[in-house]
Amino acid sequence: MNYLPWVTAAWLFAVGIYGVMTSRHYVHLIGCLTVMQSATYIALLSVGYRFGSVAPIFYARSDSTPAVDPVLQAMVLTDIVVGATVTALLLALTLQVHKKRGTVNPERLRPLRP
Amino acid sequence: MIDPAAATLAPLPVAVPLLAGALLLLVGKFLPGRLADALATSAALLTLVIDARLAAQTGQGPLVYWMGHWQPQGGLTLGIALVIGQAQAMLGAFMALLFAASFVFAWGYFEDIRAFFHVLMLILLGALQGFCLTHDLFNLFVWFEVMSVAAFALTAYRLEADPLEGALNFTVTNSIGSFLILGGIALAYSLGNALDFGALAGTLAHRGATDPVAVAAFCMIAIGLLIKGAALPFHFWLADAHAVAPSPVSVIFSGAMVPLALFGLGKIYWDLFEPVPAVQLLMRTLFLALGITTTVIGGLACLRQRHLKRLLAFSTVSHGGILLIGIALSGPVALGGVLLYFIGHGLVKGALFMVAGILLASAGGVDELWLRGRGRPVWPAGILMTLAGVMLGGAPFGLMDSGSRLIGAAAAGRPEKWILMAMVLGTACTGGAVLRGAGRIFLGLGAMAGEEARGPTDEESEKPDRPLWLMMLPTAVLLVAAVGVGMPHADAMVLHAAARFLAWDRSASVGPVGPPLTVGAPQSAHPFMPWLTLALTVLIAAHDLGRSRWPKTWLRATDRVLCSSWFTAIDRTHDGVVGDYVLWILLGTALFSVSSAVALYAG
Amino acid sequence: MTRRMRLVLAALCALMIAPAVVAVIGRMPAFGHHPLPYGDAINRTTVAQRHVTNMVSAVNFDYRAFDTLGEELMLVAAVTGTLVLLRGRRGESLSDRAAQAGERPVCERSEAVTLACRLFFPIIVTFGIYVIMHAQLTPGGGFQGGAIIASGTLLLYLGESYRLWRRLVHSLLFDMMEATGAIVLVLCGLGPMLRGAAFLENVLPLGQTGALICGGIILVENAGVALAVTAGFILLLVEFLEETRATRDGGGS
Repeated sequence: MNYLPWVTAAWLFAVGIYGVMTSRHYVHLIGCLTVMQSATYIALLSVGYRFGSVAPIFYARSDSTPAVDPVLQAMVLTDIVVGATVTALLLALTLQVHKKRGTVNPERLRPLRP
Repeated sequence: MIDPAAATLAPLPVAVPLLAGALLLLVGKFLPGRLADALATSAALLTLVIDARLAAQTGQGPLVYWMGHWQPQGGLTLGIALVIGQAQAMLGAFMALLFAASFVFAWGYFEDIRAFFHVLMLILLGALQGFCLTHDLFNLFVWFEVMSVAAFALTAYRLEADPLEGALNFTVTNSIGSFLILGGIALAYSLGNALDFGALAGTLAHRGATDPVAVAAFCMIAIGLLIKGAALPFHFWLADAHAVAPSPVSVIFSGAMVPLALFGLGKIYWDLFEPVPAVQLLMRTLFLALGITTTVIGGLACLRQRHLKRLLAFSTVSHGGILLIGIALSGPVALGGVLLYFIGHGLVKGALFMVAGILLASAGGVDELWLRGRGRPVWPAGILMTLAGVMLGGAPFGLMDSGSRLIGAAAAGRPEKWILMAMVLGTACTGGAVLRGAGRIFLGLGAMAGEEARGPTDEESEKPDRPLWLMMLPTAVLLVAAVGVGMPHADAMVLHAAARFLAWDRSASVGPVGPPLTVGAPQSAHPFMPWLTLALTVLIAAHDLGRSRWPKTWLRATDRVLCSSWFTAIDRTHDGVVGDYVLWILLGTALFSVSSAVALYAG
Repeated sequence: MTRRMRLVLAALCALMIAPAVVAVIGRMPAFGHHPLPYGDAINRTTVAQRHVTNMVSAVNFDYRAFDTLGEELMLVAAVTGTLVLLRGRRGESLSDRAAQAGERPVCERSEAVTLACRLFFPIIVTFGIYVIMHAQLTPGGGFQGGAIIASGTLLLYLGESYRLWRRLVHSLLFDMMEATGAIVLVLCGLGPMLRGAAFLENVLPLGQTGALICGGIILVENAGVALAVTAGFILLLVEFLEETRATRDGGGS
């Protein structure tokens, strides 16, 4: 139980990078990048977790209740925005490449082919 | 003491370009004519002035600025600090100058999509300034991401097939780098529970001595930064991205973005991880070896290119290797060399990309063999290209030469001859390739059989009807700055800035700093080095330019070397397939793992 | 490199990296049991110092607002880049009118779908506004609420026709909204400097803990972020949907 979050993060990262390396369709590759990103979310959130604590919202609670680390949650929020925007950019690039080259197979897309 | 008025300038190098970018996004559609160009150039110049003022004010002590006035409370740093020393302010000023020159060069280039180019470039400038000045680990990552995203969008700006593919390779590889940096931040936070460099450094010094988590955190962050900094084996994306990005954008990539990632690596090392013995060992061995290999292979690959911008991209890889050598050597002399080399190389490389842009606009192509002789109508650009090639190739004047002399002097006592040989070889190859290009394009020398066969990207051109003088002006300004006109004491000033950075930067945010240090300029042990490099440069250029004049035996011997399978293998590995690039990243990570294990259990 | 060779080399790398991963995981601090001084310091003092009850919003918009500034500008850069990529090919003038659907038959929306969308659209938008406005009290904020509202507008396309979607969703309006959001956030930084305070310092009146108006500058930054995120995501939706259309001249898509 102690190691589960870290093992999960490492596994997700490994699976994602395997997918990126062997992908035959760029949209699939972008999905694999998202999987790798999830690994970082899990790693970050697990660092800030504490057993027996509540979420860092003190609306109906006293602020001396033990709560998890809000800094890491803010970092993950930033991370999610990063992921969403880069995914949008990648998908737009893929769309245009498909129009220009007719394929979205990473193996067949090489800039400046001689 | 820091003038309080100057202290309020601290957040402005970041805020001014970002505000200008947001304003241009709002009103860009309604602005007449070239007003957007003028606004963008003014914003860059204003940033330059602010950074220069900050550099002047921080000679006696760094400026520590807490965002939101969140001073440390109870021994904990709660907010984000900017720590501005002379070194960072100088780099920031240089980058703003490069952007201003790039905006002038791009005047009238981008007409169709209402000021989007300027918005993206201004956001990129703000991010580079933030990356340079910040003192917080996660903030460093945020600005790293901002500069990455702006760069991804700018690479694909031309919307042809090749820029799109180049941008895809760029985005995928650099995104993997960002994920690694985030993982490293998670590990570092789990150890130190702080994100400010000063606060984190204390904990890492205590606990990091035998902790693999600290070493792993450093390695992950370092790999992410090395991917952006285009060091072997993470450099493959650079050639693809540079070759297809518009010229004003390539100026910034090679001149500012890639070297700044390497400087960021140095900052992480000196501010956070230097007290960890295993990391110090890694830096002295692995990173030095990587720097040497990058320099040599980048230079050799540069020689084989006929696409001008790809050639310049590989030369950036090679010179980035020299920067990495300087960072790995550490110490005030090496850091002073790194700063000078950063600025000198950026100016020269920026000017060269502008020359490539001039050729694209006037002659309509960027393939060196196709352009043979077609540069004659724009012969002033040829003079600038030759001057730049000579400086790139190790001429004994200018900022680049001062930088490499300092790095060479810092190599004393290390495996010095490997470092010096690598620097000579890399510099000579890149300078020789540029001189060869200049000779071919502007003088029509160096005819080769089969040159009519078109090279890659035959259908390339940039907007042709910009006035030549407007494009030559920023090029000339950059080269004049690179020669070091008007900066007689640049060496001494930079050395002092470097020494103070190393002494003050780490703990500036958590405690008082000591008195200002001075460092004497070391004597060069090898004063003939620049001449040797220059001679080799001219030899390499002349080899291809005067093929018909060389004796047959010489040609046979050199061809046996240059066409051997090793050299063609260099070309074949840069094949443009993103899966292979990711595999190389994985191979590099494996190399780091094994080296870290050895460093931990040997140290 | 063939796929087989790539997989073999990758397996080799995995073998070399695995021991390092195992060593690091073994030495990580105990999950759920290790001290969190930074987080605890913020949790303890923010309610009294800033009168807000959502610690994550306080970190995002006050303690580490500089990060949020960078993040928002990154969103603006990415949306701008996507607009360049998708609008650039078509030309900007076309984006003001809906294009034809090519050769695909234009289906009539089913009445059930239209009714469901008309029912849910106001609910979702209201919920999104609620999430935005309660950023400082309960989980939520500009980012989350903006994404909710932007997804809600998609119901306009699903339930009505493409023509109505384009008529209701003006790209120019959202372009300007996004830029305004970014400007608001940067001015939240520069504004306090005019009063002699630090960049991004919380100088507005803090209000009463638990009230809707509390937290000072946190509210203003939250509004800026909400504007930028809503407009940004809606612009992305507009451009991606436009890609499904052929141009009137028959080329492209």
